[in-house]
Amino acid sequence: MFRKMLVFLVLSIGLYSNLIAQKTYTFNSPGNSCYFEYMLYAPDEVYERHLRPIVMVVGSAGDAANEVFEKDTLRNQLAFYNSLFIYVPCPAVSPTTRLNCLEPLKSLVAGHLRRSQNCFLRIQDRSIKRADLERWDLQRAFVNIQLPENSDSEFVLEEFTDEYDLEEKMGGVYYEEETEINEDNLPETGRIWRTYFGPATQYHFKLTGVIRDKSSHESLPGARILVRSTESGAISNADGYFTLIDVPSDTTTLIVEILGHSPLEVHLSPNVNKNLFVIELSPSIVMLKGVNVVAVREDVRFTDNEHVGAIRMTPKKLEVLPNIGEKDVMRSFQLMPGISAANESSSGLYVRGGTPDQNLVLYDGFTVYHVDHLYGFFSAFNSNALKDVVVYKGGYEAKYGGRLSSVTELTAKEGNQKKFNIGGDLSLLSLNAYAEIPVGDKFSSIVTFRRSYKGFLYEKIFDKFNTSSSSDTPQAGPGGRFTSNAEATSYFYDLNGKFTYRPNSKDVMSLSFYNGTDKLDNSIEIDGSAMGPGGGLGGAGFSLNSTDLTKYGNTGSSFKWSRQWNSRVYSNSLVSYSHYFSDRDRSTERNESDTTGTTNTVKNGIFENNDLRDYSFKSDIEINMGDHLKVETGMFATYYDILYNYAQNDTSSVLEKHNMTALAGAYLQTRIKLFHGKLHFVPGIRATYYDLTAKNYFEPRFAFTWKLSNKLTLKGSTGKYYQMVNRVTREDILSGSKDFWLLSDGKSIPVSSSDHYIVGLSYETNSYLFSIESYYKELYNLTEYSLRFQNRPGLTTVNENFYTGQGTAKGVEFLLQRKIGKVNGWVSYTLGQARSNFSVYSAFDYPANQDVTHEFKLVALYKYKRFDFSATWIYATGRLYTAPSGAYALTLLDGNSSDCFTVTTKNGLRLPDYHRADISVNYKLLAGTDGDRKRREIGYLGFSIFNLYNRTNIWYKQYTIVDSDIIETNVNYVGITPNLTLSLKLR
Amino acid sequence: MRYLGALSIALSVCCASCNKTQQAFTDTPIIECYLNAGDSLSMLVTRQIPFIDDPDYLNIDIENLAISIQRNGVTYIPTSLGDGRYSIAEIEIMSGDSFNFYFDYGELPVLGYTIVPTKPIDFTASEFEMEIERLDSTTMPQPGMEMPDPIDLTWSNDDNSYYLIVVENTESELDPIRDFGDAEPPGNLFRKSPTNSGSDRLSPMDFQYYGTHRVILYHVQADYAALYNESTSSSQNLSNPSTSIEYGYGIFTGMNADTLYVEINEY
Repeated sequence: MFRKMLVFLVLSIGLYSNLIAQKTYTFNSPGNSCYFEYMLYAPDEVYERHLRPIVMVVGSAGDAANEVFEKDTLRNQLAFYNSLFIYVPCPAVSPTTRLNCLEPLKSLVAGHLRRSQNCFLRIQDRSIKRADLERWDLQRAFVNIQLPENSDSEFVLEEFTDEYDLEEKMGGVYYEEETEINEDNLPETGRIWRTYFGPATQYHFKLTGVIRDKSSHESLPGARILVRSTESGAISNADGYFTLIDVPSDTTTLIVEILGHSPLEVHLSPNVNKNLFVIELSPSIVMLKGVNVVAVREDVRFTDNEHVGAIRMTPKKLEVLPNIGEKDVMRSFQLMPGISAANESSSGLYVRGGTPDQNLVLYDGFTVYHVDHLYGFFSAFNSNALKDVVVYKGGYEAKYGGRLSSVTELTAKEGNQKKFNIGGDLSLLSLNAYAEIPVGDKFSSIVTFRRSYKGFLYEKIFDKFNTSSSSDTPQAGPGGRFTSNAEATSYFYDLNGKFTYRPNSKDVMSLSFYNGTDKLDNSIEIDGSAMGPGGGLGGAGFSLNSTDLTKYGNTGSSFKWSRQWNSRVYSNSLVSYSHYFSDRDRSTERNESDTTGTTNTVKNGIFENNDLRDYSFKSDIEINMGDHLKVETGMFATYYDILYNYAQNDTSSVLEKHNMTALAGAYLQTRIKLFHGKLHFVPGIRATYYDLTAKNYFEPRFAFTWKLSNKLTLKGSTGKYYQMVNRVTREDILSGSKDFWLLSDGKSIPVSSSDHYIVGLSYETNSYLFSIESYYKELYNLTEYSLRFQNRPGLTTVNENFYTGQGTAKGVEFLLQRKIGKVNGWVSYTLGQARSNFSVYSAFDYPANQDVTHEFKLVALYKYKRFDFSATWIYATGRLYTAPSGAYALTLLDGNSSDCFTVTTKNGLRLPDYHRADISVNYKLLAGTDGDRKRREIGYLGFSIFNLYNRTNIWYKQYTIVDSDIIETNVNYVGITPNLTLSLKLR
Repeated sequence: MRYLGALSIALSVCCASCNKTQQAFTDTPIIECYLNAGDSLSMLVTRQIPFIDDPDYLNIDIENLAISIQRNGVTYIPTSLGDGRYSIAEIEIMSGDSFNFYFDYGELPVLGYTIVPTKPIDFTASEFEMEIERLDSTTMPQPGMEMPDPIDLTWSNDDNSYYLIVVENTESELDPIRDFGDAEPPGNLFRKSPTNSGSDRLSPMDFQYYGTHRVILYHVQADYAALYNESTSSSQNLSNPSTSIEYGYGIFTGMNADTLYVEINEY
């Protein structure tokens, strides 16, 4: 019989292609067991609207369709305004016989309304029991069934509105696909059910709202809220708040876009709270039929209509990118155009020919001065603690200051505001755990901790795949070279925490802290007994134990209070503390035996200590003056206390500097939109008074974006930038240059500055982005420290070893990104040049240390069911270095000779080109039973291979002088390194 | 317009930089020339020992360089003695003389400048004689053993210029104070570290032999003093050899000396 009904169903669909309306219809033909008249009714009287809930009501025994309609009370409720009702008669004898007809009827109507899966059933006949429903598997056909035994209770609106609300209860949900779906044809945005179809009641009003994550209630910064069919829109601030100054009517549709979440259409209605309109976005990757939100999300955004050279990335993205042991936010940014990728040993970003110290790193508002873990292979930031990361590659706004090149702003998670959550990752390198603890509905917290470990697998992999060596042949006399090996070993840990209190809908207070420490041990053992006859020691043997022990870390904390005063004014104030320390103890013990077997021990050492404390206050105020004008202003003050001590050979100080000073200032910038939002420009000025030089520094800034068409945007920016706290490079030819933080004093270490000129063009469609950006930077009063030039022994003051120079950086970046689709990713190429001019090194310009001419990056992501595949390939011109080039001997007055060494021209040599491929695959772990369409995502199992083809990339060359011989050591980056990651979470 | 300029400059300059050649070794001459008051002028020009296997040496004959030397503005042409040695026999270097040298080496002009410092003034010693007990390898200094007083050397140094003490045993046959055992005997010369003070000290442990010692106080320039500084720092940080020479390495420095004698006798 069921087959017969299906045949009839197909025939009926054909007949049903006419417009439906509120009237009585006939289902099947006379003689069929399911022959009866039923009635359709839509409260909004729009019968042709697709994607709407269906409510089927089966009357009491003996009721005809029109009687069921008349007795029904649901249709008058506002919650069912957009539902379509089907009124089904109930036979007086054996009402249960009607049950087998309900599913085909629902399919008929739902099929006409395409994708209407939200179907609900209300049965009024008391003789029908739940067991009767099971016979026809009606629980599968209807989302919710209401029987007479609970007919007194009302339908809960929540159950009717959105199947997606499962996420609210369960966290991330994975929807098992029933059939293959062509993602390329998915709509640009998802939709939320419209609940109101009446006329507008209010026009041209202000709407203030907050964007938050549906499952955790975390506020979402950086979301774009656009008013459909207009040019107006807003971007949510750090606390997720936004204000639309002029919403045309209260039936307008908003489009909400944010990284890591599906874009969404939100329909306003007269009932929404215009002072605090809450929009909740789902984090799941939903690309399936049968759910309300059908769209593809972006995880990386290279363009931003309000900022030039900004890249925003959701930490969620990090999971699917290959990693060497830890998903790492800074490492992932190095895959972006304009940010150098050839520095495995630096998590600090080399942005557009700038150095990492020229990149301002803000973590919840406090400055982080050192972002490296484990020789820089990992960043100091635990991605489990992060919510949002933005890098401004240059020409950044007046709101930020104190750095010459760029800004990286990291916002930490506030923690799940609804339910307790716990999770963690275990990789071959580290253990990473977090807990999210809400207390009531006003307080949330998150604590994350991770620590590296040298487990069995770590050792095995490292020993098997990672070797460093050099292969120079020894030479006679001064200049003979021997080889040795060095391998990097160490551990690190970090702890993050954030406690957020929302006393009311306007205020947010949060306390954030970070503590991380590294202990590094990079020791080298050299055995000279194996050297050839050309060695300079005449057959004598020696051994050299070089202890290289470094301990460094950061501690930072900020307390932030932000308030949405009203729809126009938002403020954000914070006090913060940041402490960076670095203690380096490098001592060399040399045991030398002569031909008689006598052993002499010589011990030398370098002791280097850097200690920086930063106490800051800042306050930002945003004032929305209208749809075309927004004013942003603020003030800031910082007190610095910086100590640096450097001792060479023994504990006597070569350089000791201890400076304390304060700076304070203010900024003002405006966001102006003209020509219906097509032209957007941001003039601004920043003024700083710096106590150590007792001078004022003014930094004018200007940026614009000009939408030439819907797809084509021209953008540019320029500005002046000053940097008072500098990380000075201490040149060291032998063991690699090091850096230390010092305050500019206006004398030996001048206040450095830069001028930026940036222009770019982007062409963006729904699927693709092509972008070209060109930059030119001039840098003034850069400082380096070198002990290479001491012409007045004993009389040279420490300040004479600081050298001042200039620099330029210029380049062009090309990017092609496929934003959505099963295979997505990007290709980028950067042609760049960074030059320095320090007269002490050379009379002419020379390539700066960070100069990289060509850099090519390929990032490909592929999603197949529960698998996420990714592959990256990086190619970069080799980095520059300076090396010992030769030697000579001078006869002294006492008859002895002095061996002297010469070096190449500054940065006269390049290491071999750097290239590397990484791959990874993640498999989603789900709770529940196989075959369930909706299953909760509880983590993933990831496998990645770093440096897939085991390319030997040289980190740096180290030279050691033993008597008259130079020992050259290639310190290499890591070779092929597989990694397994198990990530689990409660919700 | 400036933005477009930036774009075109970036493109053109970046491309221009791609073909820049690297320099692992630069053939730079080494000059060794001490201009000691009272001596004639002698200069040695050599080449570096490279660290790479096949260095690009310039096609220059080191024995036939066109060197010109100016003393107080008067130009002299030195005579080549072979092996990079050059001399000007007719010059007797005087205190206060200023010297320049110049020659072309490839495309670069190699030049240097120095001035001969004044003769040390008021150079004297606290003692001119010291008695030291003879020791052999089996005899360790006994606790409470009386050591002779050191000899304090003083001179006038108002301008913090650099001085160097070199002590030479003048005996034709050396008479060791200690038994050196199997170790190689030390030479008859020793020196103190360069100083920019007006005093230095000779302790009993400095002396290795009995007999007459010539104590030479050199008044030197900073670049020469720096040569001693490098030998202590080179194992930690490679310092460029201090030099007043442009486009070359080595030493071209003036100096002046005074001498006194001390006797070391057996106790």
